[in-house]
Amino acid sequence: MAEMWISMGPQHPMTHGLWTLKVKVDGETVVDTEPDLGYIHRGVEKICESRDFTQITTYCDRLCYASANTWSHAYIYAAEDLLGVEVPERAEYIRLVAVELQRLASHLMWLGAYGPDIGNLSVMVWCLREREMMMDLLQELGGSRMHYNFPRVGGVKRDLPHGFAMRARHKLSLFLERIQEYESLFDESTIFLIRSQGVGYAKPEEMINHGVSGPNLRAGGVNHDIRTSHPYSVYSELDWSPAVERSSIKGADCYDRYRIRVEEMRQSADLVLQALDKMPGGAETYHEPGDPKILAKAPSRAPEGTSGSHHFEDSRGESMFYIAGGGEGRGKMPYRVSIRSPMFITIPYASKCMIGYKVADIPAIMGSFDPCIGETDR
Amino acid sequence: MSVVSEESQISSAEDLAEKLDAVDGVSSFVDQRSNGTQIRPVVKLQVSSENWREVAESLYVDYGVDYCSMITGIHWPESKDKNWEIIYHFLRTGVKNPPHSEGVVQPIITNNSELTGSDVPLELEVTIHLGDTRTPSVASIQDIWVGADWNEKETWDLVGIDFEGHEGMRRVLQPHETPKGYHPLQKQHKLRYHNFQEMYDDAQGFKRKPVDSERVK
Amino acid sequence: MTSSDWLDIRGWSESIIGWSMDTTHDLLPNSIQNDFAEIQPALESFFLATVMCTVVFAIMMLTLMVVPYIERKFIGRLMDRIGATTSLRSLWIGEGSATAGDWWNKLPMGMGTPIGFVNAKLNQSFGNDHPHETISRVNNRGYHGIWFLLPGFFQALADFLKFATKEHIVPKKADKLVFEIAPIIIIATTIMVYAFIPFGPHIWAANPDLSLIFMMAIFGVAPLGVFFAGWASNNKYTLIGGMRSAAQLTAYEIPLLITVLSIAVISGSFNILEIVDFQIETSNTWNIFILPLGAVLFLVTMIAEVERIPFDMPEAEAELVEGWWTEYGGIRWGLMFATEMMRAYAACILFAMFFLGGWEFPFQDLLSSLPILGGVFEIIFTIIPGLVWVLLKAWLLFAFFVWIRASLHRIRTDQILEFGWLYLLPLSLVNLVIATFLRLEVWTDSGWPIWAAPVLTIIALFFFVVYAIDEDEEALSQSRRPYSTQTLSKAYPGTQEKQEVN
Repeated sequence: MAEMWISMGPQHPMTHGLWTLKVKVDGETVVDTEPDLGYIHRGVEKICESRDFTQITTYCDRLCYASANTWSHAYIYAAEDLLGVEVPERAEYIRLVAVELQRLASHLMWLGAYGPDIGNLSVMVWCLREREMMMDLLQELGGSRMHYNFPRVGGVKRDLPHGFAMRARHKLSLFLERIQEYESLFDESTIFLIRSQGVGYAKPEEMINHGVSGPNLRAGGVNHDIRTSHPYSVYSELDWSPAVERSSIKGADCYDRYRIRVEEMRQSADLVLQALDKMPGGAETYHEPGDPKILAKAPSRAPEGTSGSHHFEDSRGESMFYIAGGGEGRGKMPYRVSIRSPMFITIPYASKCMIGYKVADIPAIMGSFDPCIGETDR
Repeated sequence: MSVVSEESQISSAEDLAEKLDAVDGVSSFVDQRSNGTQIRPVVKLQVSSENWREVAESLYVDYGVDYCSMITGIHWPESKDKNWEIIYHFLRTGVKNPPHSEGVVQPIITNNSELTGSDVPLELEVTIHLGDTRTPSVASIQDIWVGADWNEKETWDLVGIDFEGHEGMRRVLQPHETPKGYHPLQKQHKLRYHNFQEMYDDAQGFKRKPVDSERVK
Repeated sequence: MTSSDWLDIRGWSESIIGWSMDTTHDLLPNSIQNDFAEIQPALESFFLATVMCTVVFAIMMLTLMVVPYIERKFIGRLMDRIGATTSLRSLWIGEGSATAGDWWNKLPMGMGTPIGFVNAKLNQSFGNDHPHETISRVNNRGYHGIWFLLPGFFQALADFLKFATKEHIVPKKADKLVFEIAPIIIIATTIMVYAFIPFGPHIWAANPDLSLIFMMAIFGVAPLGVFFAGWASNNKYTLIGGMRSAAQLTAYEIPLLITVLSIAVISGSFNILEIVDFQIETSNTWNIFILPLGAVLFLVTMIAEVERIPFDMPEAEAELVEGWWTEYGGIRWGLMFATEMMRAYAACILFAMFFLGGWEFPFQDLLSSLPILGGVFEIIFTIIPGLVWVLLKAWLLFAFFVWIRASLHRIRTDQILEFGWLYLLPLSLVNLVIATFLRLEVWTDSGWPIWAAPVLTIIALFFFVVYAIDEDEEALSQSRRPYSTQTLSKAYPGTQEKQEVN
């Protein structure tokens, strides 16, 4: 059969989002790929030039809707760098709890979507059920189930609600039991192993040069995590180390990327429990919103010529915000906000990874890189 | 707790900044970010656009900067000397190729707190200013770091800064058929449509314009 | 054909038709009576065939409604992790909307009191301390069924009727002739298969001497229709799906046929009725105990033939939307989806016929020959027609299919083909050799020797246990843990002291 271009078009159950993957196939083998992004380009960077620093947080939640907290916190750290704000320690701990819970929920969403890609339909329902537990916790913290608008420049919106620590501990212990079951459903299934091992090799040197980061990079054996290499927040106070997978010479395959996210889920749960234990003032005390222990006073203008940036370990890699001050309203609004999305860089790389494998491997490979198009297109 | 130690990171940053300052066309200094429990240094470079290509190559080859993170383009129409600003963010990850044994990669799990010298991960920020021109253009670094490829496409697509030597430049976030010269992040593009008779004075619609504001009086 | 029960639909139809023909003959004027008598046998067999075909088709379609019901309910419970206990409990705690049912109290004349009594006893012994939680978990379901029984039963029928109201769309550049013919081929051949399946000792539509071969041949025509459908839709996706499907179905036809051949060898005939009678009357043993490898092979190849997960790559939603039937809408799609169910149903019924003894209750002869209870059992077995046992076995097996579907992942097409050609084909040949050996050497004219079935079953169980046991746990877990987290302490909720992991 001749070579032909198939368009796994914008409407497709596989693609985890709205983008086109044009694939050139020779029979069943993939010969060339061309990703086509930009379908949900909403112009967030331009919009942010006419919004207050506080108003931009809501936009950043919606960048990657599956992992909203990590993005709004990434923005807030950059804004604090720009405005020169010192954040109280309790607020940092609360932020860590929110971010790690969000990372856990995002990875659960990924696992729930990856199972049906490979063919196992039950796992989707189970993982979404566990995610409901995390969403309940995040709803108590942030007020809504998906877009929380939780951090403020200088701290957080409100403190941990009454009883949050007890509920979080209970739910996380339940989760840690159940994750073993789901893990064994994948690990002990020969079919999953033959579908995902040996598929989609990604060499670590190439990944670094390409700009791939986060769990995709650590699956290749590279010990690079922004939380330890350029530590921000209170990660240096907690007892942990990044999960790194031992891959083969040919690179990281889909199985490695799957394993590393399961380990990261466990780690996020562990980090949340440690943070709840170590919170200054105890996890049970409650401060009113606006209390200086959780929200510091922050200037609201950034004069021209200043700039701030921050890179952040998002669920999918390294996200970065660069904000140039001095915009409209005599500095009340930023002059330019530039957003770095890890998936924008990884999707072309993942498309390259697919060359040489079968058409049936495309969802397995693409799913294992965990694309989220909201942040890609901004 | 294997977090990179503050002193070694700061000293390594100052080291690198000194070495880079000596290079032609580069002026560098160390800036600090201080939120969180640890100070993180950033090596900031100011490079002239003629020397950029050699500096980029030497960064990759001599100084081990192996990861290109983000490329930002900013348009300053009011300023004369820095009409266009391009900011590159790089990382020196300090990762060496791990050894293989028995067909399996043995990852080098370093204790980050013991890293020193040029093994310490560092962040770099390179700024290039261009003067008043209608065709801003900078040398492309697509062949040195492949991660810069799509970043450059996006910068051209949205801001309009061209990259010489970039192969396969195309619209990546906007539709393919977007007309030539349409780069929305330039300041003359308003957020809403050109010359659209807005009903409101501000971007969010709180200040309503008077009803007869557009009428010829 | 010696096994028999009272539900002799064929006999009744024959006698009614014979009576009506004779009456017609007598009522005709004398001059044409002889001519009529000449064509009478042909007329009788024609009418008999028509009536039996209709009856068999009706039985099949009516009992087919249970199949998607099983699938939906069982998969729902598996996916919702309702668990065995709550699942079972939901059967007697009821699926009513606001209350827990007690539908039994609403039956007239107090007929439901014993049911209420049984319910109370079950709740006493197997309930828990939180009946309201269980009720609310179970009652989160909707309630669309006969008011006390089987909620959701007619959903499949409603869906099917809805498809009949949808528009028939033909893609513009599609090859119209092939596009229309393909569903006809697929649907017609699948329905024709049921002509040869006996639902009971006297409920069958056609019974030629080589019915097994005939049926398998018709069963295997459907891949052709699938390929036509995939090609004619003028769509790259469906083309790929059709090709994959054709390759997969062809690859699994051959082990299937060889396995079926081994059944024929064991049973000594190519006629399905005689195969069932062999198990019930002649050898008094179900074939599954004699040929367990054959049973497993038949199961696996049938799952591949009906394209269920783990073998449903041709219609995998993750990549090809719906595969080869993407472009079909309306009743064509509805009937092809029904065909999927029908093929799976046929596979289950065939398994019940070939291996599970058809219309015999397990250990029926043994139970009937017990000293005191034998009489009771004898009465029960006389009252309940064989059709019921066939259907129960088929439905149970279908639940097993659903279980497999919910737990396994999808295998990639080239892996499916590799599995079929490299593993199943040699295994089916080995199975054939074993069957031939058993029939020639071990079979005596009065049945299997007393040790044959137990020994073979024990050998099969031995292999199953050996293959199912996990290997070296240590090494397995070593190869899966990430490097650096091998020394991380495991997270325990809220405690300060942590334990070191190796």
